[in-house]
Amino acid sequence: MRFLPHTDADRSAMLQTIGVKSAAELFADIPAQLHIKEGSLNLATALHEAGIVRKFTAAADANRHAGNTRCFLGGGTYHHFVPAVVDYVISRGEFLTAYTPYQPEISQGTLQTLFEFQTMVARLLNMDVANASMYDAATAVAEAALMARRITRRHRTVVATSVNPRYRAVTRNYLSWLDGEEIEVPCTGFATDLEALIAAIDDNTASVIVQYPDFYGSVYDLAPLREACDRHGALMVVSFGDVSAFGLIEAPGSFGADIVCGSGQALGIPMGFGGPHIGLFACRQKHVRQMPGRVCGMTEDADGRRGFVLTLSTREQHIRREKATSNICSNQGLMCTANATYMTLLGDAGLATVAQRSAAALAQLVAGLPAHVTAAGGARYNETVLSFESNAVRDRFLKLAEERAIFAGIPLEKIDPDASNEHLLVATTEMIEATDIADYLTALEASK
Amino acid sequence: MSIPADLKYTKEHEWVRIEGDIATLGISDHAQEALGDIVFVELPEVGRKLAAGEAFAVVESVKAVSDVYAPVGGEVIEVNSALENAPEQVNGEPYGNGWIAKVKMSGESVELMDEAAYATFLEE
Amino acid sequence: MNDTRYSGVAGLMHEEPLLFERAHKAATSISLPGVEGDTPAALAGFARKQAAGIPGLSEPEAVRHFVRLSQWNHGIETGFYPLGSCTMKYNPRVHENLVRLPGLAHLHPDQPEATAQGALALLFELQEWLGEIAGLPHVTLQPAAGAHGELTGIMMIRAYHEARGDTKRRIVLVPDSAHGTNPASAALAGLATVEIKSGADGRIDLDELKAHLSDEVAAVMLTNPNTAGAFESEIVEICRLVHEAGGLVYGDGANLNALVGVARPGDMGIDCLHINVHKTFSTPHGGGGPGAGPVAVNEALAPFLPMPRIEKSGDHYHIVHEAANSIGPVFGSVGQVGVLLRAAAYIAAFGREHLHKIATDAVLNANYVLARLKDAYHVPFPGLCKHECLLTDEIQNHHGIKTLDIAKRLIDLGFHPMTVYFPLIVHGAMLIEPTETESKATLDHFCDAMLEIARDCEAGNVEALHEAPLMPVRRRLDETQAARKPVLVWQD
Repeated sequence: MRFLPHTDADRSAMLQTIGVKSAAELFADIPAQLHIKEGSLNLATALHEAGIVRKFTAAADANRHAGNTRCFLGGGTYHHFVPAVVDYVISRGEFLTAYTPYQPEISQGTLQTLFEFQTMVARLLNMDVANASMYDAATAVAEAALMARRITRRHRTVVATSVNPRYRAVTRNYLSWLDGEEIEVPCTGFATDLEALIAAIDDNTASVIVQYPDFYGSVYDLAPLREACDRHGALMVVSFGDVSAFGLIEAPGSFGADIVCGSGQALGIPMGFGGPHIGLFACRQKHVRQMPGRVCGMTEDADGRRGFVLTLSTREQHIRREKATSNICSNQGLMCTANATYMTLLGDAGLATVAQRSAAALAQLVAGLPAHVTAAGGARYNETVLSFESNAVRDRFLKLAEERAIFAGIPLEKIDPDASNEHLLVATTEMIEATDIADYLTALEASK
Repeated sequence: MSIPADLKYTKEHEWVRIEGDIATLGISDHAQEALGDIVFVELPEVGRKLAAGEAFAVVESVKAVSDVYAPVGGEVIEVNSALENAPEQVNGEPYGNGWIAKVKMSGESVELMDEAAYATFLEE
Repeated sequence: MNDTRYSGVAGLMHEEPLLFERAHKAATSISLPGVEGDTPAALAGFARKQAAGIPGLSEPEAVRHFVRLSQWNHGIETGFYPLGSCTMKYNPRVHENLVRLPGLAHLHPDQPEATAQGALALLFELQEWLGEIAGLPHVTLQPAAGAHGELTGIMMIRAYHEARGDTKRRIVLVPDSAHGTNPASAALAGLATVEIKSGADGRIDLDELKAHLSDEVAAVMLTNPNTAGAFESEIVEICRLVHEAGGLVYGDGANLNALVGVARPGDMGIDCLHINVHKTFSTPHGGGGPGAGPVAVNEALAPFLPMPRIEKSGDHYHIVHEAANSIGPVFGSVGQVGVLLRAAAYIAAFGREHLHKIATDAVLNANYVLARLKDAYHVPFPGLCKHECLLTDEIQNHHGIKTLDIAKRLIDLGFHPMTVYFPLIVHGAMLIEPTETESKATLDHFCDAMLEIARDCEAGNVEALHEAPLMPVRRRLDETQAARKPVLVWQD
């Protein structure tokens, strides 16, 4: 076995040092009836490295992907450009194969990167502080709901249905095991119904959770929600699906959000069929001790030199056990490194360009739509809903588009079980070129 | 190890100074030393009603966290808000500037020990 | 002293400033694709008024910055990493190539199923393999980490009892040696934790367990081998007792490396097990994550598995989103796919013929380290261990030396320290997990270093231990200051 360094001579010498005759003796404490016969498990036979490469390559080749098919899919996962340097940095063995930085003296690389990551995330979202990441956007939203319950000591959570249905489902699941209620406020016109949402807030409300831009790509003014939250002492939680938006539009923190959370996948992480991505999580300084997850802080070493450590760990499970702010133990450390590298390469200017082109591509697509298709109106960032006259017309278009190497959109009912079946959720990024839009519109015409 | 004679102590290592119906509460020198450098004290809200034995504050060091239990029942009338910015006062002066809260007593108290009993308890 | 005043580097030692201390650049270093066009008019009213303040370095500067930072890290590729309970093993390089194949890296989770059959087939096969290895045939790949798997499993156990109308089971029994995630996960699922004291041998005390079992106990969470590195030899009886009392047994799979291919948790009577694939199946830890924590369950719990799941009908693979009794989703997609694919590749390399060799060499290595160190260090629970061995600082305490000093001295001697101060059931714990991918030579170097430390203590030669570490880029860091006045972001 190529990963096992011992020779048989090594093994014999080691057994002798231990004082046993055979390796089997080392397992004598496992009752005999529990031992399974070597080689009896129903697994594949062992493959050498070339065989594994062949197997995975064949599997990969069986798939269509954003490299050979123009990708107009979003819904929380976006095909943005990933510079080669990002992949290089996270392939460095020192980042890739390190554990959680529990020994800070020999983990300053991970720790300084986390500190830079936290700083850039807080700045991009215009919040005071950010943690060192959550698993994904859906779990980050659920954790935000729990955090708001702890801060307010209230047990009522109000969620807009214009929040990604998957974030809602995970949040609903997390809350369902605890006392309290979760209220979902419907929306109309594939946009957020602020009035209905505000009407649902009362003095027992822990938090109101919205998405901005919302699941349908709609951008709206959060100021009225901030006022309503203040009237009732509720926290305002703002989630997001494509963080690239904040290179162009006002950040959630600028509206006074208490907790901001969502996916950082857009910042240098490939779609990867759903993961690993990363959950970004930011809050106000005054709530930092109720924040879940790891955080990195600045300090000094014994010689007075600047250094970084994991800090505020008394919030965490390994110390507070059942009273911890969360059970979370690992984070998405390597994805933090990817985000930090990406943001460093792009800077403010590059982030603005990505956002501006992502939005412009959608605007051009919508401007060219034929009469038999309508797009949800109002301010949209890089995502919207296209509505067809029937399911048959929509599916005919999807099929034709796929034949022309276009993933044209996500059937809305696939993510949102409450939606009817003639809509498509369509997203654009800077990876969409003018010719891709032209081809998309041509396919639409052809499938009328 | 300092154990002032004018205070009473609990098995959870809180101290209480009783003056009339007002009780001042904190953690003992032994407790602060066992915890190490204290980095944060979570204070109760003024006006909160406490039952004797109820956890009312949390004291945190870098690697440990400890609930502080009310030696006596009553209503919190004052908290030591200086600890918000200077939690190290609990280490430096556990019986002085490191006090945590003042309670207007009503009802029961947990079993309290005097100086000698607490010293014996610590030895055990 | 190294002089890093000019270039930041002297010899190969370097200093590296924060990004934010470098000059801001107005322009990005990356040439970006995309359509040219104006910002849509409808968005104009929402335009960001102030730039975020993201520095923006040129590509050469950015590479140098992060490569320099990387060199301040110890990784498994750099050296021995015997962190107990963490299973730090070599991460095969070919896995990095596999997950970057365009046909795997650039799949959208909602692209048509028919266009992702290759990826679904690999994931389905992994589901099957994990079920077979655990002896628990029904598997969800969704949980993103071990702790997330625990939460998922406890949710399922609670749903199971409630579906039977057995609604008063609100207690989870957890041994005092358990990982902190166990009680935290139970609490998140709305259940109370009661701790059960370990016996004198560090194992579960059957009488103590019996005393706590009742019709209010939903589950017992246990780790086998336990966190002291010992196999719970009474496991079959433990499971029988819990089942007899109407409860279920949750297995924390953090220590599966000791058993993989040798014995199966499902055969022991465990009902539900999470598998830390970033431990047992060697997916890289990435400085803290991402991991993945698939959960395997028996027939009784299968109806409650979270959705979506991958299923096969005929030759076609489906992502199934709905099931009547499912607890619902715990994650936003089918799972941390890139992590899971690396795990599948690790299992594929060993195959049915060799899989048990992971456990046999891991256990051999741990016992070898124990045998070499047991006279110099206190062994709280004598006897053979499984994949990790537990020592304490009791002997060294006589010379004023604590576990922390030993750990920091190891850094100067070229090793990542073992896990310290865990498990909590012994004072000054040092938990050493060597894993199967370490050579005898490496283990000998480590043991020699540990023995030298013990000799230095005996000889009263302890200054280097108190001062350690002296070699790395930073010495001991002031964690008190960091926690008292948290500075979590840079202020220009």
